[in-house]
Amino acid sequence: MVRLIKIILMFTGISCFYFFSRPVPATGQILTDIKVIHASNGPVHIDPGLKKIISELESVFKYTSYRLLKDQRLNLHFNQKGRVNLPGKRALIVIPTDMDGKRIRYQINIQKNNHSIFQTRVLLRNNSSITIGGPQFNNGFLLFNISGSVQ
Amino acid sequence: MEKSCNHYTSEDISRFVDNELPLDQYHAVAQHLIHCPECSRLVEQYRSISAVFNDHADQQALKINPDRLRQKLSQTIPYSKKNLLENIVGLFGKNIYLQLASIIVILMISLFSFQGALFSPTGPSAIVTSVDTDVASVMIIETQKEKHTIIWFSET
Repeated sequence: MVRLIKIILMFTGISCFYFFSRPVPATGQILTDIKVIHASNGPVHIDPGLKKIISELESVFKYTSYRLLKDQRLNLHFNQKGRVNLPGKRALIVIPTDMDGKRIRYQINIQKNNHSIFQTRVLLRNNSSITIGGPQFNNGFLLFNISGSVQ
Repeated sequence: MEKSCNHYTSEDISRFVDNELPLDQYHAVAQHLIHCPECSRLVEQYRSISAVFNDHADQQALKINPDRLRQKLSQTIPYSKKNLLENIVGLFGKNIYLQLASIIVILMISLFSFQGALFSPTGPSAIVTSVDTDVASVMIIETQKEKHTIIWFSET
């Protein structure tokens, strides 16, 4: 009986160690999903494509309408540039540069009329997302939800 | 207190024999014993009693076989451990299947709570390491529930 307990405990310990301590493989591609959202105080509308993040957005913003304007998936290698054209002669450029533990280091650049207006470097948790917002558009504001996952 | 003579009690003499008196008193009693036959006799009595007791204790100690004692101790300790384990296992009941089921349930609950702790966000979804912009203001917000990171900038 004692031996059985020991075996079960040992098996559980080894399983936990294996599943939770293994590092994220850094050799694969980075699947980057960029959602361009128009948030405004127009008629109440929540796009079904925003189901995963809407509760987080609504906990901060008080807009009544969230429309998904564009959902673009980019399969990028490290240091490969991904570009998404945005409304209002803007563009979003994302570059996954490397891994830092279980986080993906991204360089993000927002341009307007081919001129950089905002640059940031972030460490995005694998399978997680960040939202960048602020540019005004059509009586509302643009939000860019960028999610990344190691393939 | 019974007095062996007019100067010292029997307790004083007993403490003298056992070397329990302070040094000055010890010397005083030793000087006194030279002239006091009653106290000297009492000292002899106490010393003989002590000698008999010590001899008996030594004999009893010599009778103990250290190997056998060691063997007995080694038999007793695992037995105690076994009893403790049996008591712990006994908490789950006497049925072997019930015991197994209880252990598996406990392990699964532990495992799932452990997983929950690991899978729940332990930090912000994104750590902002640098921001470079010409715009007027930048805000970095972290939501309470999922610790989702939001960067808000005012475009000029």
